[in-house]
This record gives sequence, structure tokens and C-alpha cells, in this order.
Amino acid sequence: MADAHVHDATHEDHEHKPHGWRRWVFATNHKDIGTMYLIFACTMFFVGGAMAMVIRLELFKPGMQFVDPQFFNSMTTMHALVMIFGAVMPAWTGLANWMIPMQLGAPDMALPRLNNFSFWILPFAFTLLLSSLFVPGGAPAGGWTMYPPLVLQNGASFPMLIFAVHMMGASSILGAINVVVTIMNLRAPGMTLLRMPLFVWTWLITAYLLIAVMPVLAGAVTMLLTDHFFGTTFFTAAGGGDPVMFQHIFWFFGHPEVYILILPAFGIVSEIIPTFSRKPLFGYEAMVYAVASIAFLSFIVWAHHMFTVGMPLAGQLFFMLSTMLIAVPTGVKVFNWTATMWKGSLTFEPPMLFALAFLFLFSIGGFSGLMLAIVPADYQYQDTYFVVAHFHYVLVPGAIFGIMAGVYYWLPKWAGKMYDLKLATWHFWLSTIFVNVLFFPQHFLGLAGMPRRIPDYAVQFTDWNMVSSIGGFGFGLAQLLFPYIVWKCVRAGTPIGNKAWEGAHGLEWELSSPPPYHSWTTPPSDALIARGATH
Amino acid sequence: MTTAAMNEDERARRRRVRNSAILWALIAAGFYLGFVVLALVRGSR
Repeated sequence: MADAHVHDATHEDHEHKPHGWRRWVFATNHKDIGTMYLIFACTMFFVGGAMAMVIRLELFKPGMQFVDPQFFNSMTTMHALVMIFGAVMPAWTGLANWMIPMQLGAPDMALPRLNNFSFWILPFAFTLLLSSLFVPGGAPAGGWTMYPPLVLQNGASFPMLIFAVHMMGASSILGAINVVVTIMNLRAPGMTLLRMPLFVWTWLITAYLLIAVMPVLAGAVTMLLTDHFFGTTFFTAAGGGDPVMFQHIFWFFGHPEVYILILPAFGIVSEIIPTFSRKPLFGYEAMVYAVASIAFLSFIVWAHHMFTVGMPLAGQLFFMLSTMLIAVPTGVKVFNWTATMWKGSLTFEPPMLFALAFLFLFSIGGFSGLMLAIVPADYQYQDTYFVVAHFHYVLVPGAIFGIMAGVYYWLPKWAGKMYDLKLATWHFWLSTIFVNVLFFPQHFLGLAGMPRRIPDYAVQFTDWNMVSSIGGFGFGLAQLLFPYIVWKCVRAGTPIGNKAWEGAHGLEWELSSPPPYHSWTTPPSDALIARGATH
Repeated sequence: MTTAAMNEDERARRRRVRNSAILWALIAAGFYLGFVVLALVRGSR
């Protein structure tokens, strides 16, 4: 009787859902916080995208067209900061918040109040960063890498940049701690580490990377701050400091950061391809070890960003070979995804389309990465549009397509309704065509010698720049479909059952659609876990 | 499961959660300070 009473009280407590603004401002529920992260990321995606449109508009023709060079440089710098820290990272954290408890059989994240705090730091950080556009001297314009001594010449925007980066870092670290603690402590009984879905695995490894490298960025920008305001000379050559040391510290953060942006996409693609191939994932354990290997290698390749800065031959060889080594675990992953599809019963719904585009287009980014890893070739490619093409292939059809795939995969579960599949397929094809029109010509521009981060260029680069800009405008417009599809789904989608996709496996599909406010108030049975873990 | 046993389990779980969160926060702080100290040591040479 006493037990029953306790259960009822607990049950009522779990069903309690605050209403109005309090539900969001004081949110501790993982789904509410996940939704806020995703909305924030989508907003920042369009803010950063608008900056990209300014860049492509200016580069449509040679000569100065619309903006002055200082503002152009601010746009490139702010576009990068907004997209990396404001769009992609919060989108992954939003997906993690939504899915990790549901996939592990947990009722919520382990530290709900910390979760609230991690999210609410972000709007303040980005308000501060974006308001630097309106201070004397304009927004930061020295590149997202913040290299001294250039960055130290920023005007009033400099302390705003440093404080904003600190806040973004704090938010990421707190979010990562929450993910690690949740995965390590709140798994349902029977959910062993090697039964966890790949999305959870990739997020666990991403969280370890975040905890290791975000404080390094924080340390670097703190030293910039003291150099600027307190007379230290960490990176000032005139006082005995070393500007190149900043580059080493920055890229010790910066390269793992690339994997922070892409590893969760590996997890999502590893969920989607088996579902729409109606086959278990090929080589589950190999996939886990490949992700762990990529994460480890990401710590020992940082100086490949600095070949032209100058380093001993042994250093060049080490960083070239260690970078090339990353192709091995990445190749394992691409092979396993392909093998999963082999002789599968394939269908091509929007999540699968985005996952397949990811597979092809991310590989293009990977291959150009291998070209950049070759030291003598890098001397030619460094600071050209070839580099811009490379990292945009990794981050747009890589990270962004991974996020799109994830949202289109789980949106029916979140909303309890199916979205307009036809419109989402249009979104896919427009995005895929235009992303290639946008970024592929940039390889040619870079190989022909067009430098990056310039508002004007020699006339021989005109044609491909025009093509690239047309691709940019098309890609930007196509993205407007995305919030409309989500809004239409939430408002008037077709109701679905627990399982949105016939071939889907995993604990999240055992819950109702939409799922209850608290996911697993009673842990799932071992049989349910075993049924979900069919890899 | 009795209420007392459930509470004991819950207390142990909360302790584990708190301790591991503190551990990871300390590791993060270690990386932050570690790299600043590294820069100081290298700069003083």
C-alpha cells in the first residue's frame, strides 16, 4: 500500500508540466531544453546564413560592390563564430537533450538545473557577440581563429568577443559534463555500453572532447585578454611573448572542435542507414572503435593548420602522417555504412536522402582534407579558396546535413505527427544541388590561386565566383523550407504510431509519439533493450 | 522494492551523479589552468 502510494505521488509529480513562460525560463525537462536548443540553433543558422549571403553578394562580381572591406571581414569572422558556436554545436546539444535519455531508458538528463543554465547562457553570449556589430570600430574582423597580434588591434568589440567566447565555452563544458554524467549513471539496467545506440556513443566521445578542449580555448582567450588589458605578453613578441604559441594552443582546441562538430553526425547516419536499409548496422563495435580512434587522433594533428608558419621537418612529417592516419578509421566507417546498405531493402525517405548525401559529400571534404595534409601541396593551397571549399564540404553537407537528417528522422517521434514528405524531399534536392553549386567551384578558385578572406579579387576569378554566389543564394532560399516544414508538421501533421519508420529500432521507438513529458519513469525491460539493440 | 531501499538506491545514485559531475568539472578546470601555466612556463624560459 505504502509502495503504491509512493508510486502514485511520483507519477503525479512526473506528469506535472509547468505552463506559460515559466515552462521555458525555468525548464528542467530534457525535451523542453532540447526544443529550446534546436530553436536557438535554427535562429542562429539563419543569422549566420544572412552573413554568408552578404559575403556571397559582395563576391558576386570583382570590385567593391556593397560593403566596405572592414565590414566584409567582420562578416566572415562573425559568420564562422555564429555557425560553429551558435548553430551547429547547440543543434547537436538539442538533439542530445531530446534523444539521449529516451535512447538510454532514462527519465531525464542527470543534471536538469545545470542543463537549464547551459542553455540560458547562450542567448546572452550571442546577444553580446552580435551587438558588437554596433560598437565603434565594428564587430571582430580578424577571423574566428582570433590570431594575435591582429585580434589585439580590435576596438571596443574585443572584450565583447572574449567574454562571449568564454560564455559559449562554459555552456559547452556544462552541457558536456551533463551528457557524460547522464550516460555513465542513468542508463537503464541492462543497457550496457556496447548496447548503446551509436548516436549516444558518438555523443559520449564528443563530450569527452569538449571537456578536454573547450577549457584550452578559454585559457587561450583569457591570455589574449590579459595581453590586451593587463600588460602581459603571452603572445606579444615585443615583450618576449610568442604569437605562434597562440596558434598552437588555438589549434589544439580547433582541430578536435572539427570532430566535435561532425562526430554526432556519424552517430545519426549510423542510426538512419540501418533503418532505411532494414538491416542491422554492419560492424557496430568497429564503428565505436573507429569513432574513438578518430577522437584520439584529433588531438595529435593540430599543427597541420600551421605548416606554412614554419616548423622542423620532423614536425611536418609527424603532423602530415598523423593527419593521413585519420583516413583509416574514417574509411572503416564509410565502408560499414556502405556494407549496411548492401543487399538491404532500401527506401529513400528524407532522412535517408540526407544521410546518403552526407556519405558522398562528406567524403569529398575528407578527400580534399587528405590533399591539404600533404605538406608541399599545402604550401600551395594554404589560405586559398580550396581550404574554404574543403571545410565547407565537411561542415555543410557534413554537419548541417547530419542535423537535417536527425531532425527529419526524429521529428515524427517528437511531434507525434508525420511531416510533409514531399516538401522535405524538395528541401533535400534543392539543398544538395545548390550546396554543390555553391562550394564545388571554390575548389577551382582555390587551385587557381584565389586567396580567402578578401572582399575583392582579380577578374579571372569572376565566372566561378558568380556560379558560387548563385549556389549560395539558392541554398539560402532552400533552407527557408525547413522551418516551414517543421511548423506545418507540428500544426497539422498526420498522426503516427510509436514507430514512425518501419525499419527503426531503439528504445525511443518504444515510447508513445509524442513521448510522455518524462521519458522512462519506469526503466525499460531487458527484452525491450535487447529488441532495440539489434546491431 | 521497499521505500527505504528505493531511497537508499536513489541516494547512492545522486551521490554518484554529483561526484562524477564534480570530477569532470575539475578535469575541465585542470585543462584550463594547465594550458595557462604551460604558456607561463614557456614564456619565462
